Amino acid sequence: MIWRFGLFESTFTPLVSTHWALSAALGLPLLLGMLAALFPPQRMWPVALASLPVLVSGWVLLSAYDQAGLLRWQWEVAGVSLSLRLSGLSVLLLLTTQWIGVAAALYTPGSLRLGEPQPLSRWLWPLMGVLLSALSLIWLASDLLTLYVALELMGLSAVGMLLLSGKVAALVAGMRYLLLALVGSLAYLLGVALILGQWGRLDLQGLAAVVEPGPVAWIAAALMGAGLALKAALFPMHGWLSPVHGSAWTPVSALHAALVIKASLFMLLQLWSILLPGTFYAPRVIAWLGMLAIVWGGLLAWRTDSLKTLVASSTVAQLGYLMVVFPLLLGPDIAPLPRALAWEGFWLQLLGHAFAKAAMFMAAGNLIFATGESTLKGLAGTSRRLPLSLLIFGVASVTLMGLPPSSGFTAKWLLLEAMLISQQWWAVAALLVGTLLTAAYVFRMFRYSFDDSAPRHHYQPLAPGMDLIALALALTAFALGLLAHFPLALMRGGGV
Amino acid sequence: MIASFDALETLLALGLTVVALACLFDRHLVRACCFFVAFALAMTLAWWQLGAPWLAAVELLLGAVLTGLCFFYALGRFFPGVSSPLERDSFNEPWTRAFARLLLALAWFVMVGAAIRYVITDMVYSPDEQPLLLAGVMITASALGAFALHRHVLRRLLAFNILGSGVFMLLAGVAGTSATAQALITVGLCIAWLGSMLGALLIRQLLHLEGVDALRDGNPKENAT
Amino acid sequence: MNATWLPVTTLATSLLVVVIIFSLPEDARRPRTIVNLLAAVIKVILVMLMVGRVSAGREDIFSFQVVGGVDFVLRADALGVMFAGLSSLLWLCTTIYAIGYLEGSANRKRFFGFFSLCVASTIGIALADNLFTFLIFYEMLTLSTYPLVVHNGTQQALNAGRVYLRYTLSAGVVLLLGAVLLHYLTGDQSFSSEEGLGDYLNDHRGLLTLIFALLVGGLAVKAAMVPLHGWLPRAMVAPAPVSALLHAVAVVKAGAFGILRVVYDLFGIQLSIELGVISALAVAASITIIYGSLRALAQEELKPLLAFSTVSQVSYIILGIGLFGPFGTIGALAHLLHQGLMKVTLFFCAGNYAEELGIHRIDEMDGAGKRMPLTSIAFTVGALGMIGLPPVAGFITKWYLGIGAIRAEMYWVVVVLVVSSTLNAMYFLPIVHRLWFRLGPAHGQGQWPKEQRLGRLETHGWLLWPMVFTALASLGAGLLAGMPFSPLDWATRVATGEYLP
Repeated sequence: MIWRFGLFESTFTPLVSTHWALSAALGLPLLLGMLAALFPPQRMWPVALASLPVLVSGWVLLSAYDQAGLLRWQWEVAGVSLSLRLSGLSVLLLLTTQWIGVAAALYTPGSLRLGEPQPLSRWLWPLMGVLLSALSLIWLASDLLTLYVALELMGLSAVGMLLLSGKVAALVAGMRYLLLALVGSLAYLLGVALILGQWGRLDLQGLAAVVEPGPVAWIAAALMGAGLALKAALFPMHGWLSPVHGSAWTPVSALHAALVIKASLFMLLQLWSILLPGTFYAPRVIAWLGMLAIVWGGLLAWRTDSLKTLVASSTVAQLGYLMVVFPLLLGPDIAPLPRALAWEGFWLQLLGHAFAKAAMFMAAGNLIFATGESTLKGLAGTSRRLPLSLLIFGVASVTLMGLPPSSGFTAKWLLLEAMLISQQWWAVAALLVGTLLTAAYVFRMFRYSFDDSAPRHHYQPLAPGMDLIALALALTAFALGLLAHFPLALMRGGGV
Repeated sequence: MIASFDALETLLALGLTVVALACLFDRHLVRACCFFVAFALAMTLAWWQLGAPWLAAVELLLGAVLTGLCFFYALGRFFPGVSSPLERDSFNEPWTRAFARLLLALAWFVMVGAAIRYVITDMVYSPDEQPLLLAGVMITASALGAFALHRHVLRRLLAFNILGSGVFMLLAGVAGTSATAQALITVGLCIAWLGSMLGALLIRQLLHLEGVDALRDGNPKENAT
Repeated sequence: MNATWLPVTTLATSLLVVVIIFSLPEDARRPRTIVNLLAAVIKVILVMLMVGRVSAGREDIFSFQVVGGVDFVLRADALGVMFAGLSSLLWLCTTIYAIGYLEGSANRKRFFGFFSLCVASTIGIALADNLFTFLIFYEMLTLSTYPLVVHNGTQQALNAGRVYLRYTLSAGVVLLLGAVLLHYLTGDQSFSSEEGLGDYLNDHRGLLTLIFALLVGGLAVKAAMVPLHGWLPRAMVAPAPVSALLHAVAVVKAGAFGILRVVYDLFGIQLSIELGVISALAVAASITIIYGSLRALAQEELKPLLAFSTVSQVSYIILGIGLFGPFGTIGALAHLLHQGLMKVTLFFCAGNYAEELGIHRIDEMDGAGKRMPLTSIAFTVGALGMIGLPPVAGFITKWYLGIGAIRAEMYWVVVVLVVSSTLNAMYFLPIVHRLWFRLGPAHGQGQWPKEQRLGRLETHGWLLWPMVFTALASLGAGLLAGMPFSPLDWATRVATGEYLP
């Protein structure tokens, strides 16, 4: 498992251009965010122009990884050693972050212009910048201190972004999220303290070599797991998620559901694969919770009357799919083949969900903007008047349902095969039931939209491009299904 | 010489625990915030005592001064004209809830204590040699219990800060005050300050929009870890 | 020479049409019509090219790797091309019909967009060369049909849509499980591989039976086999062209076609016989045939009657598979085409009656033959074909199925065929009698429910000519069954390929 995260020695040292690309990828979002706070962009093209260098940096890192394989950076600052590594998985997640981040940034000017003027809107930009930089750092960091810094930056900026709409509901939900996130990171910190006390080092690669199973490793894993699970909204700790999304701005919700939650999950998996390799119970517990999450999240989304709650609750269920895979990734006695399949399926599902959920939030945001209603009933007649937004929602939900030819389907295929080989029948059942539940709540929403008997009301026109950005994201999630070979090959560590 | 230091340390540990408990369980909010500042000052001393002057400075600046300011701002002591300042936490909880939280705090106490016992094997034989560590365990446990118990957002924020300090103390106790540990704690202090600031702003805004009832953080299902 | 481009282009044509239609504005009627017709014609030509290449013994393959061990493969083989030919030809007819039918109604962009997506899916189903590819298009078909079923947006249509999804998505999950189980057992199994699954029989008999049950069970929902047929009659609330193409041809046939693929190309006949699943299939098909006919007998409205008739008729294909012999197979394959032609004719007629005269119920049809002679002739041809009277195409099928049953010494099947034909006659002949021999509004007695004069002829030309064409084709398929490239000829070619490799 460890090598899959790229925790081994690199053969080559990074080139100068790679250094530049790295600093651009980590620093540029932050700088551009600050700049945008001073001069808030009103149109889409300045954002597009500004985000070009970020995308270029991602591309340079991709090609650097392609040529040289794993790359490592290490610094000593005042006796503290910090390290980064660029593995295939990091590149993949970094690119995902950049693309979704740019999409959300492009979406923002239009959505801010359409809504009623907000006093705090210019603060969205620096927070978004911090968030994207912190996320990029999380994918790359390979010591616990850097991870901690990045996690905290990400958490605080996420809270800040979710609060910006300034409504009471958002503030109440944001307050709770803030407190839980802070306590979650303290749990993480305590885990780090135990590790530091026991083994005296924080770099993941070194830890992987020295960690031996025992009460310290277990308790540290439990503490970190609990803290990160809280931040990732894994099943019993998902309660804060829907209220937070209920009144947040659309691009913020998109970024949060697509990336922020995944970052905690990524860290959780990475740390557990170091601390708990081959443990039987811990991943099982996660998997059982995941099954409950699939059912419970599906039911929540099915029963709700609000479009945003539907989309947010579906995140709980979709995270359940990822949790169910934990025993295959971390458990003992898993043959190499199912483990490889599960690994690929896990990340494909995560990527597909990231793109699809971002697209879905944007489509839902567009529908709410245009109709002025946030309930499902308010959608009546939209299939005639807003076919494109609805189509985007549909394409994104195909990915969530895991129907072909989306990435959700390919991921589900891989996961199912892995589960069948290792004979995890409960997980198979959970995955299949999840498909049906997802279909149930998605089509419940469509049922309302196809209702033609509703009275007409006035629809507000959308800013140009708002639909197209969402469509691009949804289609990416779709295309990853048949073109899964590229990201998976990248992750396997081989060339493209 | 060593013995006298130990006495000082023990005294400090006792003082920390008492102040923390007072801060956590005082319903009078202004007094609780004052206790918090006292706690932060005691923490500064503790860092100094542990041989980390840099941390002491950071604690003094971030913990005592800036975070303290945040709390008094949240209480409405700076701009009293906007809305009435907060006085007391008047939310009541059923005793079952309190009992459940007590169990939670105890479980936490046992777990962390056990972990630390494994990390620092000496502690088994002479627990009194590490009074600050012991105080850290006590403080984290009671702060976590208080965090889970209280409904009032400001008190939860206070509890979080005390919890943070307790965790930092555990960190220092377990891992020493190496450069790495100091870096971790510094980051943690910054984060705690930023979080408190954000929380204080939020509390003010909520009070402004909705009144005191908005500060009641409702759902009993979501407790902390 | 491998013309990789051919299957891809055929598929891409339909998908491109979807994109173009969705990007055209709602009121761009003329460009949409042109795009639709052009694409339909191009596709017929492309499929004819494929037919030519397959009959010359060449099979074009297009493939790429999706993930390790799973490929996306399109291959033009005889069976696939047969289904592709059916769907592309009928798509052309139905597109023409739909343009006339939906004249002036709302949501036409959505309709034609998803209509094209449906047909793209059926082409994909036809050309898919492994279960993974098949599944992709099979589920695409499910999803793209939903907006068509609920097209009217009424409460009834929305309920029908919900029932449709419940059945098909559950079936999709079952199918997915079967497909993954099979992939886990055997790796990527191409439909064209000669080996079959015989090697696994000794060690994995139970698992193979389970996989067969899952796959066929999942497919049987779309093929509307009893007791999984509940969605089909309800889905008849959709507009007539949708019922015509999708619920009599594309969707149900996709299920039947899938079963053909599973039995002949995946498991192989030998293995299926050894597993003993074939006889179970034949029994289930017989039950469906009789049950569908009985239910049809009880209907008072025209479209539900046709729907239950579909339930019954599609199972002839399954029955033909169950007869394990070349004649049964030929009968099954020929029926795939014949039933498509005849049923589409009948649905066109039902749509015409409803549009022109407002007729929905059977007892309103008295004397309609005088008012709408061409439609009524077409209906009569279709009805006679369904009963299995010569010289309409349906006769050929029943003849071959009968011979197959006798050869296989399954005499009870002959009884089923006779009973079913009798039942068919019992519910179709009274309608034909009403059309021609009863006096009705055309003779001055009473009134049509809602008469519109849509065209110079008996109805709108867009509605009339496709129907005339398919009626002639059903006649022709029966009369000229001995000619090369007739449905029977092609079915014989496929069957020979299966039995004499």
